[in-house]
Amino acid sequence: MIVEESKTEKKKNLKPYVEVKDLVTQFFTSRGIVKALDKVSFSVYPGEIYGLVGESGCGKSVTSTSVMDLIPDPPGRIISGEIYIDGFNIIADLNKMARIKIKSETDVRIRRYKKAIKRHNNVLSKIRGDKIAMIFQEPFLALNPTMTIGDQIMEVIMLHNISSISNSILRRENISSGEVRNFITEFYSINDETQKRKEVNNFAASYAIQEFEESILSLLATSDDKQYIENEILNMVRENRTGMNIQNIREIKGYFDLQNDIFQNTLRLLQAERNGDSSAIKQFNSELSKLKRIEASSFFLLRLKLKFAYKYVMKEYRKEARRRTLELLTLVNIAGPEVVIDSYPHELSGGMQQRAMIAMSLASNPRMLIADEPTTALDVTTQAQILEIIKDLNKLIGMAVLFITHDLAVIAETCNRVGVMYAGNIVEESSTIEIFNDPKHPYTVGLMSSVPRADKKREKEIKLETIPGTVPNLITPPSGCRFHPRCKFAMDICSLKKPKLVEISERHKVACFLYSDESEVE
Amino acid sequence: MELKYYIIRRLLVLIPTIIGLLLLTFILLRAIPVNDLIANYVNQKATPAEKALEKQQAITLLGLGQPLPVQFFTYLTDVANGNLGNMYSAYYNGGVLRGIELFLPVTLEIAIFTVIFSVLISIPLGTFIGSRPNSVSDSVGRVFSLIFYAMPIFWLALMLQYAFGKNLLFLGSYGLPINGQGFPIQQVGFVHNHTGYSYSVPTHMLFIDAVLNLDFPLAVVAFEHLILPVLTLSMTVLAGLLRFIRAGMVDTSNQEYIKTARAKGVPEKLVLKRHIRKNALLPSVTVIGLLVAGLLGGAVVVEDIFQITGLGRLSLAAITGTSGNGANIQFFGVAGTVLFFGLILMLTNLIVDIVYAFLDPRIRY
Ligand code: SF4
Repeated sequence: MIVEESKTEKKKNLKPYVEVKDLVTQFFTSRGIVKALDKVSFSVYPGEIYGLVGESGCGKSVTSTSVMDLIPDPPGRIISGEIYIDGFNIIADLNKMARIKIKSETDVRIRRYKKAIKRHNNVLSKIRGDKIAMIFQEPFLALNPTMTIGDQIMEVIMLHNISSISNSILRRENISSGEVRNFITEFYSINDETQKRKEVNNFAASYAIQEFEESILSLLATSDDKQYIENEILNMVRENRTGMNIQNIREIKGYFDLQNDIFQNTLRLLQAERNGDSSAIKQFNSELSKLKRIEASSFFLLRLKLKFAYKYVMKEYRKEARRRTLELLTLVNIAGPEVVIDSYPHELSGGMQQRAMIAMSLASNPRMLIADEPTTALDVTTQAQILEIIKDLNKLIGMAVLFITHDLAVIAETCNRVGVMYAGNIVEESSTIEIFNDPKHPYTVGLMSSVPRADKKREKEIKLETIPGTVPNLITPPSGCRFHPRCKFAMDICSLKKPKLVEISERHKVACFLYSDESEVE
Repeated sequence: MELKYYIIRRLLVLIPTIIGLLLLTFILLRAIPVNDLIANYVNQKATPAEKALEKQQAITLLGLGQPLPVQFFTYLTDVANGNLGNMYSAYYNGGVLRGIELFLPVTLEIAIFTVIFSVLISIPLGTFIGSRPNSVSDSVGRVFSLIFYAMPIFWLALMLQYAFGKNLLFLGSYGLPINGQGFPIQQVGFVHNHTGYSYSVPTHMLFIDAVLNLDFPLAVVAFEHLILPVLTLSMTVLAGLLRFIRAGMVDTSNQEYIKTARAKGVPEKLVLKRHIRKNALLPSVTVIGLLVAGLLGGAVVVEDIFQITGLGRLSLAAITGTSGNGANIQFFGVAGTVLFFGLILMLTNLIVDIVYAFLDPRIRY
């Protein structure tokens, strides 16, 4: 626990990887507007596991889907707010994408602007899966039933990792003895066993020779002769050269690099448009059209080939992607990855499916994972294993996790920080230990006393309490603090004003008038 | 499970189905008043004594005196030997099996073009309107498909004939001539059957034969004659298929795995193509099978209206029998064509099931 504390200490100076500010998401249904999220704000820092907990229907899943703007439209839309992913606000153009006219609760006119939406989707498709990956509650429903597991995982790699595959292939083809020597000296300079393994792993990955990882490790373990090891490794790599068409690889790499340039330029253009910087807009626009001209002129043939013979043109990449897929499946502890890779989802058990989902989400090395109730649909033993995998990934790769669950036990086991949600608001946010030991918000207090706890046994009478009342209907949510109809401590102000989420002690935020009289400005 | 075993199992299931079908046609054959059947064998102008004798002879000939199981067994052996009995009608006199053999290609040609045409139109159109539900194009598409789906075939056929046939005389209003008279025949070889009709070789389908024989002027004419019947039949098939594909698209778009695909960063276009469309089209394969069944029913009507001498007309002729005072229902003709329609249905279902299993891995259990 002490270690965790110091970890959070460091975070103070870190920039959040994902920052959500005042997010409002609503669903326009025939029965009225469901105000699912009402100004939700939170941040997830690199390397931490942030838990969102709450009763079902409190908006935690809506929050997780909103982060990557995956809210199905119709019926839902993000109405306002900011979502920064790695510093880039993905929903800055909300007003340009659609204009919403609310005549009455059940009569809402939405005018969508196709061009802006198309550009938005294009930009997001490069961010989704690449920077943030997501796993879902029911893996069986979340996997495409007519594609093999392997194809689904490879799809991610082929979407986001073409450049890195090109690089490793090219590096493998041109490997020099100097590079190998560098790696060996590097290896010997490390003392820690796991670090050593990591180093070998990195080396193998960057030269696309993962299948030799084990033999390189054993070679390094059995021999001390650096020269000998160097030659052996070089031989291994050189023998593995398949005599593939390097020219071809270069061309494909060039094409995808250009694609990436275009994307980066689009981002810059977007940024400029938001700032209203007309000269910059002009500059980026002209650059963009220049790049597009290059794309049209020098890659015409390649694009044609890609369109009609994608599998053939990309076969070297697919081979490489397949190898990575096998590796990923091994990483998430799937037994017999060679069989699983060619199986269809229905042939696997629930736990296996969820592992496959995790493998899929890792495929592009994202720095954050959104886990939307990943263990709810699984049995208890599998649940524990899946949690273990997620925790391991968080520790090993330093992947940040946004963990959504209704299960406090799961939160206690996995998360560093917790946000408690109630009826579309985050009502309390703090470190896990504090939430459990010193809950502040009346709702959290009720939540905590509604679960049996092993460490509170000494008290003579364990009384499990339930919170009176039911989850409010979000079409007509209670005014002011949405918890006030069920709150024991409700005051006059509670039904009039909405309390603001304020920091009451270090890194402990609560939205309740018992602790601060700050209210949200409407 | 492997596809292989699925197919084997599916073929095994076919055996009881065929026996059931044969039993049904047999019952049909025996369910009609036997006297009508026997009347076919009796010379109505003969004296009562002669009549009684002929009646007795007919009963022996048809094996009607024997117990039913024996009769069924006889029927089975007859069918196995390809002996479906004879029929006499306005269009065809002779063995029923031979008749089917001669008349089937004409119907088949129409059916093939109908299926191709409707599939080619409905898939892109269904994908298009299904990918933007509740838009204007979607509403228009839905209204039209509903109209055509509900429209009776005979009425549509008549309207089309009225609309096009008057100005463009050759468009099917004269029927698809199988004797090829009055057409610019250059190279298509024709064979004659014993009743004097000519049939093109090798497939007996005029348009396809003409193309195969590189006789393009004939091919054009044959094609023109196909347009209206194919259009008529297509409309219902197309409308049904369109509605189904649209529903499939909408349904699939709301699936969890589409969200997964988006979360993976698959671009919108590919989500539509790779994830939604494929899964949405799968069930339509089954529907195509069902629609082919409807097609056979439609063929009877359409062939009669456009005067096409195909299988549908043959079965109709079997029911009406020869004209004149000897007008009698042709039992063997009816039973034979019904049996054949049943077999075709079974075959399409078999093909559909196998194709489906090939496309959808979940089915192979
Ligand atoms: S703001 Fe008022 S109603 Fe809301 S939780 Fe605090 S005391 Fe209860």
